[in-house]
Amino acid sequence: MDADSPQMMHETRRLMVLKKSPIDGQALKRLAEAGLTWLRTNQQIVNSLNVFPVPDGDTGTNMVLTMQAAYEEISALEVQNFGQVAHAIAHGSLMGARGNSGVILSQLWRGFARSVDNQEYLDGPSMVRALVAARDTAYKGVVRPVEGTILTVAKDIAAAAEEALKKTDDPYEILKEIVAAAELSVQHTPELLPVLKEAGVVDAGGKGLFYIYEGMLRYANGQSIDSSAVILQPLATVVMENALESIEPGQDFEVVVDFHPNSQFDLDKYYRGLEEMGTSIQVGEGEGLYRVHIHVPTELRYEPIDFTMTMGTITKVAMENLIAQMEQREAPSRGSKLTLAPVEAGQIAVVAVSPGTGISRVFASLGAAAIVEGGQTMNPSTQEIIDAFENLPTEQIIILPNNKNIIGAAQSTSELTVKRVAVIPSRSVPQGLAAMLRLVPHGEFDEVVGDMTAALNEVETGEITKATRSVEINGVAAREGQYIGLLNGELVVSHPELEGTCLGLLEKGRASDFELITLFYGAALSKSEVNRIVDAIRLAYPNQEVEVQEGGQPHYQFIISIE
Amino acid sequence: MKTSNIAIVTDSTADLPDHLTSALNIHVVPNLIIINGKSLVDGKDISRQDYYKRLPEMDPLPTTATASSGAYKQIYERLLQSGFNQVLSIHASKLLSGIFNAASVAAQSFGERIHVLDSEQASLGLGFQVLGAAEAALRGTSLDNILELAGDIRRRIRLVALLDTLEYIRRSGRVSWARARIGQILKIKPLVELKSGKVLSMGEARTFHKGLIRLLDILRSLGPLEQLGILHTNAEVAAHQLLNGLAPELPAEPLLINVTTVIGTHVGPGGLGFVAVVK
Repeated sequence: MDADSPQMMHETRRLMVLKKSPIDGQALKRLAEAGLTWLRTNQQIVNSLNVFPVPDGDTGTNMVLTMQAAYEEISALEVQNFGQVAHAIAHGSLMGARGNSGVILSQLWRGFARSVDNQEYLDGPSMVRALVAARDTAYKGVVRPVEGTILTVAKDIAAAAEEALKKTDDPYEILKEIVAAAELSVQHTPELLPVLKEAGVVDAGGKGLFYIYEGMLRYANGQSIDSSAVILQPLATVVMENALESIEPGQDFEVVVDFHPNSQFDLDKYYRGLEEMGTSIQVGEGEGLYRVHIHVPTELRYEPIDFTMTMGTITKVAMENLIAQMEQREAPSRGSKLTLAPVEAGQIAVVAVSPGTGISRVFASLGAAAIVEGGQTMNPSTQEIIDAFENLPTEQIIILPNNKNIIGAAQSTSELTVKRVAVIPSRSVPQGLAAMLRLVPHGEFDEVVGDMTAALNEVETGEITKATRSVEINGVAAREGQYIGLLNGELVVSHPELEGTCLGLLEKGRASDFELITLFYGAALSKSEVNRIVDAIRLAYPNQEVEVQEGGQPHYQFIISIE
Repeated sequence: MKTSNIAIVTDSTADLPDHLTSALNIHVVPNLIIINGKSLVDGKDISRQDYYKRLPEMDPLPTTATASSGAYKQIYERLLQSGFNQVLSIHASKLLSGIFNAASVAAQSFGERIHVLDSEQASLGLGFQVLGAAEAALRGTSLDNILELAGDIRRRIRLVALLDTLEYIRRSGRVSWARARIGQILKIKPLVELKSGKVLSMGEARTFHKGLIRLLDILRSLGPLEQLGILHTNAEVAAHQLLNGLAPELPAEPLLINVTTVIGTHVGPGGLGFVAVVK
């Protein structure tokens, strides 16, 4: 995180009066930074807006990283020309696009930039035109646009902008209107997309887009954008794991305290007290229970507990030594790539995205030319995928994203390379493996792509994880902390025990009608736990072959393929 | 009856049944299997069934060897002396075996009279080319025309096989992509094709049964066939399953071959494949 940023923002905030100055390239730079910062501040909220209560919510992180890539492209740029800066942002976001929301965000910037083209300044009318163009480009970039998503919010923003132009041509006033419209649009998304309603959430991508614009408005208003101090987050978003931000020097311990506040509890006062002790403060609330998360230096590690005791009744305390944790864990392979068996010139090379090292090895053993490893809550960017294949000695590239949220970034690569790229839309590791088995390296490109795509339907995918919140979807009642099973992306079972969840999922998947059950176990499981569960599965399915592989993936206890 | 003046020679990797080679006057040079230092003649000293049964336990893996150039020289001499004007010697892909080289070295001292041909194939992929050449030779066809005919057959040949494991191919050292793979992790059955003299990957199947279905699909997609051979390494039951899957679409009686040990050593037991000559 840019250490200068908070101070610099503070200064320019005081100087900036959006109304009176012309909006040139440098102003756009500061606005983009503000949007990025406010989005980052609220990253976890967006991450928590998963339709399914699964722990790998990444929309917030993906959008932050996409905006960050966009910002990195302009951070050193000194040009005044608005259009030029806009183009640079668009380019940066295209390269750095992660996740489907990130890709759509990059399309919005592209449409925006194309519309403003080479303009020196932005005024009301050109701003509105650009927002309309942004919407159009984003819609065009999606094969089957779905309403109730970030696209709808972009659409409503454009509509609000056009309306506003009838009354004013002041960009600031227009910005106010679109932020209000965006907020309403986000709230309305559950009405348009039934699965959001059922899950009890608004659309994550839409919310992320709202935060970007809200950040710009807050900046223009002189409001704070980099602390979520007094915002109470949903309890589930207060994560126990390490956040992605690097640990600041001096913050050695992570302390999490659950408590019931007493009658004199004052949130603001509580927060100010915490700010004296440490950083990365989050306060969450759920059904009367509060949870505070804070990073403190070693010598102050008991302070948050003592302080909280004066504010209410503590029910649970967790403390983790962050430095020791970091040393233990291997460097997270954030988008790291693994190059493998040599490709023969002119043959087809496959790039596979993998969530775990065990799974990477399996793809390698099947002849993948390159592996891109996704991180914990982060999908690889378009650039990272390109880097994996650009230097391979062949023009024919097939990409297996193996995750529905990576398909967009994978498809974007075709715009940035002269190689012939086809993306097989694999939505899971089992689908990706089924496709991988059909690779004929010397085959005719279109034929091989056809065969690999057809293979996607030949396997059933099961995913087992812990529910991050209690919710009922599809008639299945998931309880926070219990295990849930998803079959081909649909929530089908919930159970307090891991074994019961696995068996339930296999039953829903009609595994007895199939030949082979393969289980990839995640990083969180011990060998003995795995063996115990596999034995139970073998007992329940004596006529099926049951194969076990180390997957090494985070979040998901098991990834299962039924074929 | 016209006397043919071209002798047709091949080696035991052609996998041609005895009744065909004798009926068509084809001369087959046997290759060697070396087990624990002992040389055995392929097709004579060891039963294929026994061999494939024992293969998984053999350590170190047996090696294969071609007949020597000296042996080829002797055969060519004998044939030329017995009345043949020329000899056409057709052998397995030179990228996979040293047989072609051994024959070529032997042929050098005879000049134009011996022509050595790389079939770019193996097993019946080689065998069908040899059969075609032998039939033409018996009709008195010229060498040039026989070569053209063999080439035409070669272009219409598809050899695809489903193996139990990639391990034997990897260890044979003759297939670079297999050598480069980091070793099988998932239980898979590899599919391979022999094309232009090389073994190429056709992907994998998760179970033998699924692989069999893919094999059938590929075979069916070839259209009408002129000739068909079903190959296996001690997988007769599977071979019949493949045949049954094709039943109504079969051309003339297909050959069913338990493949020569010289090839089988490098693909392993439990393999199943086909050689088809498409119309």
